[in-house]
Amino acid sequence: MNWLKVMTLTTAMTVTSAMAEVAVIVHPSNAATVDQAEITRLFTGRGTTFSSGSKATPLNLAESATARGEFDSKVLSKSSSQMKAYWSKLVFTGKGTPPKELTSDAEMKAAIAADATAIGYIDAAAVDGTVKVLAKF
Amino acid sequence: MKKVLLVTAIAALCSHSVQAEVNISGFASVMGGKLTSGTGVPEFGLGPTFLANYPTVGVYEDEWTFKPDSKFGLQMTADLTEGLTATVQLVGRGADDFEAGFEWAYVSYELNEHWTIQAGKKRLPLYYYSDFFDVSYAYLWVRPAADNYTWQIFNYTGVNAQFNYQLGDWAMSGNIYTGREDDGENKLLSEFFGSTPIREIWKDIIGGVLSFNRDWLDLRFTYMTYQNERYRDGVPVLWNGKDTRRGNFAGFSANIDYNNWLLLSEVNRLTLDGGDFDTYLISAGYRIEQWTPYISYADFDSEGEVHSTTSVGVRWDFHSSAAFKFQFDDVTDDGFNGGQVAGDSKAITLGIDLVF
Repeated sequence: MNWLKVMTLTTAMTVTSAMAEVAVIVHPSNAATVDQAEITRLFTGRGTTFSSGSKATPLNLAESATARGEFDSKVLSKSSSQMKAYWSKLVFTGKGTPPKELTSDAEMKAAIAADATAIGYIDAAAVDGTVKVLAKF
Repeated sequence: MKKVLLVTAIAALCSHSVQAEVNISGFASVMGGKLTSGTGVPEFGLGPTFLANYPTVGVYEDEWTFKPDSKFGLQMTADLTEGLTATVQLVGRGADDFEAGFEWAYVSYELNEHWTIQAGKKRLPLYYYSDFFDVSYAYLWVRPAADNYTWQIFNYTGVNAQFNYQLGDWAMSGNIYTGREDDGENKLLSEFFGSTPIREIWKDIIGGVLSFNRDWLDLRFTYMTYQNERYRDGVPVLWNGKDTRRGNFAGFSANIDYNNWLLLSEVNRLTLDGGDFDTYLISAGYRIEQWTPYISYADFDSEGEVHSTTSVGVRWDFHSSAAFKFQFDDVTDDGFNGGQVAGDSKAITLGIDLVF
């Protein structure tokens, strides 16, 4: 699903190589630990908190980003089409809202660095000191 | 689905005026089809017919038609912040000549991370696919099997409380709802099963749904009880001398999505005034990259009304927001004592489902 935000439209997209490793990232102050099952829960709308009980805000990458397909297949074990069908069912029955989407790794890092509750993912090669890596897939 | 900020972001950033973020999303299906053979029901004067959709009377005949399964839906959700949202869904169906109407219109308030209260007009969540019946992109086939989804009432106005809990490895979700529906001139009863205007009322509706999900397994239980009232040409219909009758609906569904195998099933029973109306469906599919071939069997059985559909088809996810589908349906109508619906029929349907 292309959740386009007017404010993000002007941001340039970064080009990443295919089959890259995906790093799941949070704010540097976030002490949470997560496993694949918990990441799946957060990104399928079935959970809204970290295991510590503190609020979690999942952030997704747009389909145009390479890491999105990698994340869907490696972490969620679904194709992007399957995820879209899944969210269609929830959105049009009033049972859920998909995570907000950002268009690039750079934008994802900025959003994670600015929000202590956020959890997202980027191409592992794009990781820097502004975010903390919880897991790699 | 596209999320658009209608309220200008610049204005919102510069002032503290009330801002409502409005999300617009939608779905569409363009499906064409025709009968390849059919018996009709000579004793009713009904020609060869494939009744693909009971509630909206979506009918395929000998000529190609795009009406029965084509539809457009537009959903707008205004986020009023602090957990309050207002949603409307406008749906125009080919079977209704694309006359669009508000299918959903409700306000929603998130009480806490587990519970949400909604009030307004919604779809009745009777069967597994009832409340997203129109969003064909979200399921495998061209349409959920007509033999199961036969009920003339599919909306209600009332209150709904939904919940979401995590129990170890299981996600538990569901809802409890109450309300009523008063359909001034019911399409199925007035146009297909009769020729006089019928007002159909389902009142004192109380129901609940409970779902458990874990990895590749999805289980769903559903129950609803209601009082039925009916007026033919304004005159109350009497059942055993009374002008109301009680219906109790119960159903169970189990779905598996494992290693590219899909196994979908549901079994339901409506007990209406002592009579049982039993339905079930079972489907299997196998995902090969973007292609998912499938087979399906669905059955309806009550006193006199007995029919089933065998379907084969394929879904092709050719685009990130759209799927092409092709389906062949073979309907057997074994109704007796006037319980026939539309006779035997074979039909093909193909087209595209999309979401935005």
